[in-house]
Amino acid sequence: MTLKELVKSGDLAVDLATAFDASPNPYVLVHPDLRIAGMNQAYLDVTHSRREDIIGQPMFSAFDSGPGEDAPENVRQVRASIQKAITTRARDHLAVVRFSMPRVLETGEKQFEERYWSATHTPVLNGAGDVVYVLQHTTDITELERLRHRAKDDGATEDGAEAVSALDAMVGGSVLMRARSVQEDNRRLETERNQLTDMFMQAPGFIAVLSGPEHRFQLFNEAYRRLTDHRDLAGKTVAEALPEMVPQGYIDRLDSVFETGEPIEGRGSLLQLQTVPDGPLENTYVDFIYQPIRDDGGKVVGIFVQGHDVTDNVLAAQRQKLMIDELNHRVKNTLATVQSIAMQTARSNTEPRAFAESFQARLMSLSHTHDLLTRSHWEGADLGDILRHETEAHEAHRISANGPPVPLGPAFALSLGMIFHELATNAAKYGSLSVPGGRVIVDWTIADQTDRRLVVEWIEVGGPEVGEPTRRGFGTRMVERNVRHDLAGDVELRYAPDGFRATITAPLDRGTCR
Amino acid sequence: MTLPLSNRRILIVEDESLVAMLLETILEDMGCVTVGPISNIEDALALLAGDEAATLDGALLDVNVAGREVFPVAVVLKARNVPFVFSTGYGQGGLPDEWRTHATIQKPFTEAAVQQALFSALGVATV
Repeated sequence: MTLKELVKSGDLAVDLATAFDASPNPYVLVHPDLRIAGMNQAYLDVTHSRREDIIGQPMFSAFDSGPGEDAPENVRQVRASIQKAITTRARDHLAVVRFSMPRVLETGEKQFEERYWSATHTPVLNGAGDVVYVLQHTTDITELERLRHRAKDDGATEDGAEAVSALDAMVGGSVLMRARSVQEDNRRLETERNQLTDMFMQAPGFIAVLSGPEHRFQLFNEAYRRLTDHRDLAGKTVAEALPEMVPQGYIDRLDSVFETGEPIEGRGSLLQLQTVPDGPLENTYVDFIYQPIRDDGGKVVGIFVQGHDVTDNVLAAQRQKLMIDELNHRVKNTLATVQSIAMQTARSNTEPRAFAESFQARLMSLSHTHDLLTRSHWEGADLGDILRHETEAHEAHRISANGPPVPLGPAFALSLGMIFHELATNAAKYGSLSVPGGRVIVDWTIADQTDRRLVVEWIEVGGPEVGEPTRRGFGTRMVERNVRHDLAGDVELRYAPDGFRATITAPLDRGTCR
Repeated sequence: MTLPLSNRRILIVEDESLVAMLLETILEDMGCVTVGPISNIEDALALLAGDEAATLDGALLDVNVAGREVFPVAVVLKARNVPFVFSTGYGQGGLPDEWRTHATIQKPFTEAAVQQALFSALGVATV
């Protein structure tokens, strides 16, 4: 775009354009992509070029600093300064830069002339704040530099430093020197800054830089993007980009850091984020710190956010606590059960030796079912296995077990284990297992597949003639209570002359979670 | 000899029959009449909604009944001014804040602990 077109577009005022063209200072205007957009006469004079040759050309193909070995570095410095003006939207100064200029001699030969320049790059913004041009103002300081170099060379042979500094001071050399060293520092700092930025970006923890009292995202790394499910954050405030954080008090905390300058730290802090638009909030736990960023005057201008997603750790700790609580509950309940067995056994066995035998047998029965459940990590046990374990004190051929595999939950398994133990104990004391040749047949089926009920038949054969007992012992009461109370089922005990029979029915699909 | 809690009707909510049998034995030794034992929350609430509720003098409530918390039952008892004692295997921290100061016996419990807790809940002098 030429300057006239610029004027037409209204971006520059007419008198400003005229002044620009007439200025003895060389000016060139470049697009953000570094193509030359316009220049004034002074620029054409100082660069020995013609408008039609360079307009629309990329800046550094029109001017490439010649064939010298320093040329790429010279170009890099100028390019970096322009880029910096574009990204920071602020003027950037280049105190001294060597940049060779082509000159066509009278003979028609093209020759590069080494020149020193001082340059300023000023971004030109449109109404929306975007960079539309960069204005370069250059001053040819070649003579100044030559003078300084010469003085330095002369001085070195004689009285060294003093002569140099005097002349330097005279021609402003020390100022240039200082400017040059600042420029070196800047370049070094920029490299370091880039390295730091790279480290930020790749850090495993999340990092964000928020600016201003409204906490606008200025910088955030990949981990922060992951945390926020790759939502659009750039240039937005935290409240705009992550509105669900507002009611969770995080903005209040940011406000507090900004106002007081006191950092805020959080450990295992619950953060609920929306992973899909209008979707449910998902729990994330984070360790984080909000630290104030201060300007030179100590005023808080932003907040540095960093932290780690510790969701996995927090959830693992919660699961562990739940498991310990559950374990404690089970142990205490088991102890209460054992206590009850002890007390009831003591009431029906006044003789210590008989008590000990009876009590131990019941304890072992409980322990057997525990063993079975431990094998399945307390998920459950199979009915046939429980029966085998509870009757293993008796000869295997005397117990005949017939039925399908029936997986039972822990509570059901523990109850049925105790029931089988009591039935087997009674059989050994009074029933078919009390005489040689007597047997027990245990049949089970599942009735009604939709509302499944377990039916277990305990049939004693080949035993002595039995009759209704005169007194119901603890064992029998325990069987009845266990079936009715713990299994919500029914039990029928029949003392038929040809042998004792028990029929137990219980619903299978209830309370297995207990 | 007349026992301090003679003929008092005490509800038992406890899902483990063996523990329930132990409580029954202890209560019967104290001269109480036991109501239940009830093994789940629904049945307990149904009983409290019926006529028998008015005859209750007290209750012993297991905190975790068949995987559910007993507090809805506790709320009804409190509203009806029926004194009650929790029994729990979860330790002191197992109760939510609103019930933390309520009379509680820890599993496994001794006869003396059950008696003591009922005496104080029912406001009966121990001597």
